[in-house]
Amino acid sequence: MKKLLLAAVLLALCSGVHLGRLSAEEAAHNVIAITGGKLLTVSHGTIENGVLVMADGKIAAVGEAGKVSVPKGAQVVDARGMIVYPGLIDPETNFGLIEIESDQNSRDLAEPSDEIMPHMHVADAFHAETELIPVARLNGITNAVVAPASADTIAGQDIFIQLAGADRDAMILGRDVALAMNYGADQRRRGAGHAEFPSTRMGLITQLRQTFLDVQDYIARRDAAAAKKDDSAASKKDDAAAKKDDAKKDDKAEKPFKRDLKLEALIPYLKGERPVVIGVYEGYDIETIMGLAQEFHLKVVLNHVTHSQEILDKIAAWKVPVIVGSIYDFPRANERFDAVYTLPAELAKRGVKIAISSADAGGPVSSHSSRNLPYAAGFAVAYGLPYDEALKAITLNVAEMFGFGDKLGSLDVGKTANVVVANGDPLDVRTDVKQVYIQGVAVPMVTRQTKLRDEYSK
Amino acid sequence: MYVFELLRPAVRPLPSPCRRSVGVMTVAAALMATALAQQAQTPAQDIVFKNATVMTASHGTIEHGAVWVHAGKIAGVGATVSAPAGAAVVDATGMWLTPGIIDPHSHSALDSDVNEATSPVTPSMHMIDAFDNRDKALYQALAGGVTTELLLHGSANMIGGQAVVIKNKVGLDRDAMLFPNAPGSIKFASGENPKRVYGGRNQLPSTRMGNFEVMRQAFEDAKEYMATQDAYNAKVAKGDKDAVPPKRDLKLEALADVLRGKLYVQIHCYRADEFLTEEAIAHEYGYKIRAFHHALEMYKVADKIALENTAIATFSDWWGFKDEAWDAIPWNAVMSMRKGVRVALKSDSNDHIRRLNQEAGKMVHYGGATEDEAIRMITLNPAWIIGVDQQTGSIDVGKDADLVLWNQDPLSTYARARKVYIDGDLFFDSSLPGLGTPHFSGVMHGDSEEGSDDGEDGQ
Repeated sequence: MKKLLLAAVLLALCSGVHLGRLSAEEAAHNVIAITGGKLLTVSHGTIENGVLVMADGKIAAVGEAGKVSVPKGAQVVDARGMIVYPGLIDPETNFGLIEIESDQNSRDLAEPSDEIMPHMHVADAFHAETELIPVARLNGITNAVVAPASADTIAGQDIFIQLAGADRDAMILGRDVALAMNYGADQRRRGAGHAEFPSTRMGLITQLRQTFLDVQDYIARRDAAAAKKDDSAASKKDDAAAKKDDAKKDDKAEKPFKRDLKLEALIPYLKGERPVVIGVYEGYDIETIMGLAQEFHLKVVLNHVTHSQEILDKIAAWKVPVIVGSIYDFPRANERFDAVYTLPAELAKRGVKIAISSADAGGPVSSHSSRNLPYAAGFAVAYGLPYDEALKAITLNVAEMFGFGDKLGSLDVGKTANVVVANGDPLDVRTDVKQVYIQGVAVPMVTRQTKLRDEYSK
Repeated sequence: MYVFELLRPAVRPLPSPCRRSVGVMTVAAALMATALAQQAQTPAQDIVFKNATVMTASHGTIEHGAVWVHAGKIAGVGATVSAPAGAAVVDATGMWLTPGIIDPHSHSALDSDVNEATSPVTPSMHMIDAFDNRDKALYQALAGGVTTELLLHGSANMIGGQAVVIKNKVGLDRDAMLFPNAPGSIKFASGENPKRVYGGRNQLPSTRMGNFEVMRQAFEDAKEYMATQDAYNAKVAKGDKDAVPPKRDLKLEALADVLRGKLYVQIHCYRADEFLTEEAIAHEYGYKIRAFHHALEMYKVADKIALENTAIATFSDWWGFKDEAWDAIPWNAVMSMRKGVRVALKSDSNDHIRRLNQEAGKMVHYGGATEDEAIRMITLNPAWIIGVDQQTGSIDVGKDADLVLWNQDPLSTYARARKVYIDGDLFFDSSLPGLGTPHFSGVMHGDSEEGSDDGEDGQ
């Protein structure tokens, strides 16, 4: 292991990598071979004594020792006794939208002025230099979805990030990758100062349905306006009769088509082009919101589903993926203590593709705890989820749900070289991550917290 | 067996008039019939756990070890034990046996009555008055192996209320859940919470200067009260029949108990500088600080605090939820331990209380604690903080048989509590259908989900 650490330190020094901000050149010109480790490929099983070659930021080769040759000039990392696995992907975080939880100035979590806020783009608020990212990265998280908080029924659009990069643009791998929706009691506006529609679930659903109808209408009007523009352009040399005809029409038709950013933001989702992540807890709420989603042919990913034990077969029949989170959410009073702990296993057993998020109980997201993502997956194993499914639920499945299945989530040739080396089982709380590679570059294992540790260890 | 316990005062008599003990006696008599009904199935007099990996918390781990429980107490522990032939045998092959987990910082089962946030000094509040023994949080903690909890007042006040120590005997009546003869503890706070709560109302304190001055003033008031009492007692001792007894004041009596060393002082405190100020004030007024709770910056001044014999009850890895948690590092617990501070992990959360064993497991990762050291952080060390380490917290002969049987190493992510015993009686068994609670089949209460005094609504 000393060799590996030394290698990481040397690499960090030589390449001038600073706090995980990689330059394009650094990512491109490294060839590293990790040898002797146990490879958890996620996509094609475990390789006991494996070799993994990373070149030009990608995985260049992966296989058994002896069957994969180490390229000449490659930097060799001795990982004997280590476990090597793809970087973990957290399917729901607030990275860059919050720094200190109690500090309002550091919070850009959600825009609660209206329930329908699809035109809120997380990319606009994402603070790439947040201290939360290195802290999570230290435990092997290399990618994440950043979503707004759950205050609104439609809270905004997510980004998909890499937890290292020269700047914001290098870290955001995808803007507006999914629509963040929520449905249930929490989104109602209640109490003093809230006397406006909607204040009930009936209101929320009606408002959503009207919004989706408005989008359909908007698409029709926009298309008609575009067609008309084409028409008038095609027949510029108009005759007087046509002009007279036009004049009879509504004055509005003469005005240029005004874009509506709110409605426009929803178009790709109503066309089913991108996923809609719906955060919903109760079984009866899930049935209601799924009814609406099916009415408008949304491409759904369910999130939370904490109290859905009665409708698990139905969820399976819908064939929608599910982000289970938090596995630590509380069972209801008088339910067995493990009613939620067993949810990932029960869903997977029914063939549902699952992801697991890092959230603690009692709140949708706690990004300070993202570093505990693997332990949530491990806890699902304790309560019946097969190990391989658990690892998939924090790697490949997440990548696939958000459109990155061909680039991330497993140790396969051609994928981005986001790779973790640890001294034991990645899902066990006792395991120490020794080195994280992002785009094939060893990220310095340094955070504000390790600096404090080292300062006071002298 | 519980009937006899009920007939004893369930808590060590308070220095102030024993209204609570008297109350317990009365309630005990009234509820004896209920208790008998709950105890229809008498626990086995003798139980032997065989072939377990026994993590004693006090003297290492015994592979293929045995533990003999007699009449609710641990009667033997070792490679073999000399239990009577008629003892009930639990074959623990492939399983781990640990002391029951002890949480030294919980706000569970208080039905949201965590803070009497109407004054920064409320030492005469008693958490037992808010204790709801049917809260689901107790059951969920029990299923995670928790057998003892210190239920604390919140952190809104510089000097909060007095804690209650419970044994997590889910299904028994309220008074049967009180830890017999546990010493009293009082909760103090410092830092952001008091100044936010009162500063937000434009009251004193709104700064850390205000915080500490409020404390000093309270102790000055208590000293005057004590002097008046002493003067009266001296007159009575001289036989002065005309001596007029001073008016009793519950608040000042409680503060006097702090100054007389009758209450363990448990202080919510985050920052390095504030540990030092708190110790200085404790010296100035002559009391001891039993433990700093949260204590996220202890790693910065651990060598100094170790000399004070003040312990800490800390989070494993929570951070960043407020300014004073910004320098939190997950190595805090182990670094502080290496400097000689007695370290416990605690939940302050109805969530984390269910998996404190994993929080201990993280200490192997963050700083390289041995498994012995890690398990002690959730058993013997929190027992010391509460002051019940002579009764529980380790597997030693003579101690209460508070035990957890695990399917795996309890410090791993994969561990599940199979059976939980308190005073030798089985209170949780995961192999049972339904809730898995031999003593409980009723209706639980379930609001107050968070169970924290320091969340976003933290007061």
